[in-house]
Amino acid sequence: MSVQLTVEQSVFLQGPVSINVAATRHDGWPCVCRAQGCMVAHDRRTITVLLSARRGHAVLDALDTSSSIAAVFSRPATHATLQFKSRHAARVVLKAAHRACATRYAQAFAGELVTLGYGPELGQGLIAIMTTGDLIALRFVPEIVFDQTPGPAAGQVLATA
Amino acid sequence: MKPTLDALRPCLDGAIPSIIATCALDGTPNVAYASQVHYVDAQHVALSYQFFSKTRENVLAHPYAQAQVIEPGSFRHFRLRLQYLRTETGGPLFEYMKAQLAGIAAQTGMDKVFVLQGADIYRVLDIEAVDPDLPPAPPLPDALLNLRHALELLDDAVDLSELADRALAALTPGFGIRHALLLMLDETGDALYTLASLGYTDSGIGAEVKVGEGLIGVSAREKIPVRINYRTGDYNYQAAIRAASPGEARIPLPVLAEPHSQIAVPLIRAGQLVGVLYAESEHDACFNHADEDALVVYARHLATLVSQAPSEQDDAEPAHTKANALPSGTPLRVRYFPVDHSIFIDNDYLIKGVAGSILWTLLNEYVASGRLDFCNRELRRDPRLPLPDFGDNLETRLILLQRRLAERCPAIALEKTGRGRFRLVLARPLTLNAAG
Repeated sequence: MSVQLTVEQSVFLQGPVSINVAATRHDGWPCVCRAQGCMVAHDRRTITVLLSARRGHAVLDALDTSSSIAAVFSRPATHATLQFKSRHAARVVLKAAHRACATRYAQAFAGELVTLGYGPELGQGLIAIMTTGDLIALRFVPEIVFDQTPGPAAGQVLATA
Repeated sequence: MKPTLDALRPCLDGAIPSIIATCALDGTPNVAYASQVHYVDAQHVALSYQFFSKTRENVLAHPYAQAQVIEPGSFRHFRLRLQYLRTETGGPLFEYMKAQLAGIAAQTGMDKVFVLQGADIYRVLDIEAVDPDLPPAPPLPDALLNLRHALELLDDAVDLSELADRALAALTPGFGIRHALLLMLDETGDALYTLASLGYTDSGIGAEVKVGEGLIGVSAREKIPVRINYRTGDYNYQAAIRAASPGEARIPLPVLAEPHSQIAVPLIRAGQLVGVLYAESEHDACFNHADEDALVVYARHLATLVSQAPSEQDDAEPAHTKANALPSGTPLRVRYFPVDHSIFIDNDYLIKGVAGSILWTLLNEYVASGRLDFCNRELRRDPRLPLPDFGDNLETRLILLQRRLAERCPAIALEKTGRGRFRLVLARPLTLNAAG
């Protein structure tokens, strides 16, 4: 069973949002990695996040043992934040569309941060780390969606499978 | 080589949000934004606990976490392996984080919604540099050099009055600070009064802040530096809690209406609070952690200088100079309220407390005997003045009185005539009246 994202959620996830994914290692330690792009399937029932193999090695290794994943998406301009969880994340074959998505994403996200006054050095740094040379695509079926926008309602379940 | 937590302090200033990953006992991961990852010491960080969250539920059951922090100016990522140790719900660290959270809350539109419940302390077990090949952020301005420049300007102040002014003026070339206050602890230990100010239309000399009230008061009560990097509408962390209403025996602090950066640093000597140095700016993130460190050192040095200044040898006797021509014109109506030693001149509030009591004593002496010349030593011995036996703050009170008179009632002046000696200069006659 999966959650079907709303159209608004789908647009949000594929916009200039900060994306971070977490997993749990075999020894019980949590680990986290920044993702560099997201694609939502046409039926809005699967999410693909893009990770650098080098930067995300701990998360990728952890997912080889346990496929449970948590992914948080936050728009810096509004602080609107959503978290998705799934017990079924798996690597999928990387396609040209994934690379194109990652390139577009890095430009858009860097542009958003510079617009917010973070300065060009930060934008350049972001572009520098978000290369597509070792990109890995991770697909998961969201099973629960949380509103994590800062405030007392943070943690509220928006949808569950 | 692994980075140290000390080297990551720029990442912990709240400019870019940090991420915290935890997992439940069944292994389900959770990833969330952390409002604050606060530097505690070289081995510990503290995370703010505002609401009971999944992160908190997880670490209470399984005390391991990973935080991801980002260096502003480079976007280099670092990952910290953390072990949850305990939660503090009071004390200096808690108060500092509570004040900082007010700024962070305002930045995220959560003013008055974010309330710190506790400071969750974590031990940092390991730090991973995620982007070792990325160039580091451009270096911050050299705070140590700024400190050196500022200290050099304090070297040859001739007296406490000049020292107080220089202490603030030196912050501009030293640290680029254009708005600042120097406040001294009063003899009750419950309040601070403004001795000098920099960069305000109204000087605010004499304005008082209760210990524990506002950012300045929290810094004084906890004897800690407190720095807020963003504008906060939180009433509790405005430097000035409320403006004085006309006629009220209170001088308003002259602070900016909406500061975007604030820092309050205690003046401490031998473990005792002497006063507070406060600076603010219209710009976000004006003061970084290195500025905070430098200002802490600066304030400690200043505390020593201020404390030493009054111990200079006073001349034994008042000067005996020729009397000025008798004052003329409409008499000034001076009204004194013994309950708080407040003085109103022509119905306008002038000053209260020790400074008010000193002025009332001087004016009565003049009316009774025509005497104009006085010395600090005799004031110290005068039983009419509510001065404590030790650490009497007489010099700072005289400076305060002198400055307040110059601003609000130039017809009465105190002129220095020697070390520890001064003269009352009156341009108008007086009518004295003490309230029952």
